[in-house]
Amino acid sequence: MIRCVIVDDEPLARQLVREYLAMDEELEIVAECANGFEAVKAVSAHDPDLLFLDIQMPKLDGFEVLSLLDRSPMVVFVTAYDEYALRAFEVHALDYLLKPFSEERFRAVLERVRQQMLLRDRVPVGPMAAKLRTKPLQRIVVRDENGAIDVVPVSRVDYVEADDDAIVIATAGRKLRKQQTLGDLASELDPDRFVRIHRSYLLNIERLEKLELYAKDSRVALLRDGTKLPVSRAGYVRLKELL
Amino acid sequence: MTLERVRVALYAVAAVSGVALVSSAFLLTRQGIAATTAIAAAVPPSLLFGFIGFASRFSCRALPLRTTGFTRLAVAHLGAAVVASGLWLLAWQRWLSLLGETAADTTMILGVGVLLYAAMIAVHYLVLEVEASRRAEEAALRYQLLAREAELKAFKAQIDPHFLFNSLNAVAALCGSRPGDAREMTQLLANFFRQTLRLGALDRITLAQEIELASRYLAIEKVRFGARLDMHIDVDDAAAARSVPPLLLQPLIENAVRHGIASTLDGGVVDVRARVDGGLLRIRIENPADPDRDVARGEGIGIQNARGRLAAISGGRAALTTTEDAGVYRVEIELPA
Repeated sequence: MIRCVIVDDEPLARQLVREYLAMDEELEIVAECANGFEAVKAVSAHDPDLLFLDIQMPKLDGFEVLSLLDRSPMVVFVTAYDEYALRAFEVHALDYLLKPFSEERFRAVLERVRQQMLLRDRVPVGPMAAKLRTKPLQRIVVRDENGAIDVVPVSRVDYVEADDDAIVIATAGRKLRKQQTLGDLASELDPDRFVRIHRSYLLNIERLEKLELYAKDSRVALLRDGTKLPVSRAGYVRLKELL
Repeated sequence: MTLERVRVALYAVAAVSGVALVSSAFLLTRQGIAATTAIAAAVPPSLLFGFIGFASRFSCRALPLRTTGFTRLAVAHLGAAVVASGLWLLAWQRWLSLLGETAADTTMILGVGVLLYAAMIAVHYLVLEVEASRRAEEAALRYQLLAREAELKAFKAQIDPHFLFNSLNAVAALCGSRPGDAREMTQLLANFFRQTLRLGALDRITLAQEIELASRYLAIEKVRFGARLDMHIDVDDAAAARSVPPLLLQPLIENAVRHGIASTLDGGVVDVRARVDGGLLRIRIENPADPDRDVARGEGIGIQNARGRLAAISGGRAALTTTEDAGVYRVEIELPA
């Protein structure tokens, strides 16, 4: 049996995939999801072999869903937009179905799925997807240990702090932990807005109130909410370039 | 001030000074003063008068002919003329006494001053009028250009191909289990596109026609989005009869679905309301929108185009504002008759 999850925010689009899958006895639908949150949960719960994934969806788009997965199903994108095809193959998607698609085309996809099942050496899609989102990043998705998902628009990020091999994102009084390096995140964000003021700190410059000198060559950044962050010498140079 | 205007100003000063010089020198020679002495004596007061005459340009600008009452105009300029001529006469007397001469006929000099001042005022008003009409022509031309550009953009943006692809996909889905609904959906789509082409070719349509198109569009999207999309349309009779440029609202309604309803998990209502209020047509489109949706900051093409077209057709008197709070996105349009 090949176990599938269908993810699409339009009920009729899900129905069409469901009907095509029903014609093939080897395929079983283990979950249908109307948005990205449900998709992340369903993949965790069912560990499916195959994911039919729409791209444009509320809250989390298809690529953001992939970046949050802790398993690596085969992925077939199903979308009306052809402009994501290149990115889809970069995240090792198995195929890319353009709506509306023919039954013939759908059968060809299933044929590829069967061949892939025999190989059984799947590349995990999550980390790849994380690297290939639109740049600069508009929002950061975080998933905690309990599986709860937070979507934080970058405009609401105050600063990001490195913590071992993870980062802690400070946003509106909350702190969210994410498994990613600070350098990695910094490279995805708009460099005109987020400055590496210190090896361990990335600051949203819109939050900066002022810089204070507290010893020779040593400065702290005072944020609007009163937080103080250390500024290294190199960080100070980067800040000055921007201000 | 541009170089061009500085040059014109200098010419004006020179001309007034010249006329003042010739006429006053003539008066002096008639009193029996030698011609060369008369001309030399007339130079400084005439130059002074030239500058006073030029300065009157600013009082003309402050009192535009069209909007200032006659008495106010007459009193202001007559007063200024008397003061200016008085100054000119005073300058004369001081200057002549310095040269050891006396002017016998001061009333004539005063008279020449008043006449010259009046002529200067007339010239200023003429120049201001020419400038104003040139500016009006430029503005009209600019609006015409804006209008054409906006129309072009609107036509290009008219049909979103993804809307078509997604709708066709819905038709394909319906064919299997609900063929009757599939047939109806093809009808809805055909009617919508036919109507779009027909209305798009017209110059102006009624708001009622535009709203009808919007409800056809929303009916199609309702098939796709199901329970996530509802619509509420409330247009009073006076508003429905008003004329609007075709397809002004359509891109905004499409935005309400594509960036609004589609961005939220539970969807909601696209609420369209239009009223005539104090001669103004007021249209409001409201829809739920996820505040965290992934959009580049700033306004989308749809809003920019609508704003451009409104500016073009109303000569800048119409307004389009967008607001977003508590998960509700709102576009408001004010359109004079």
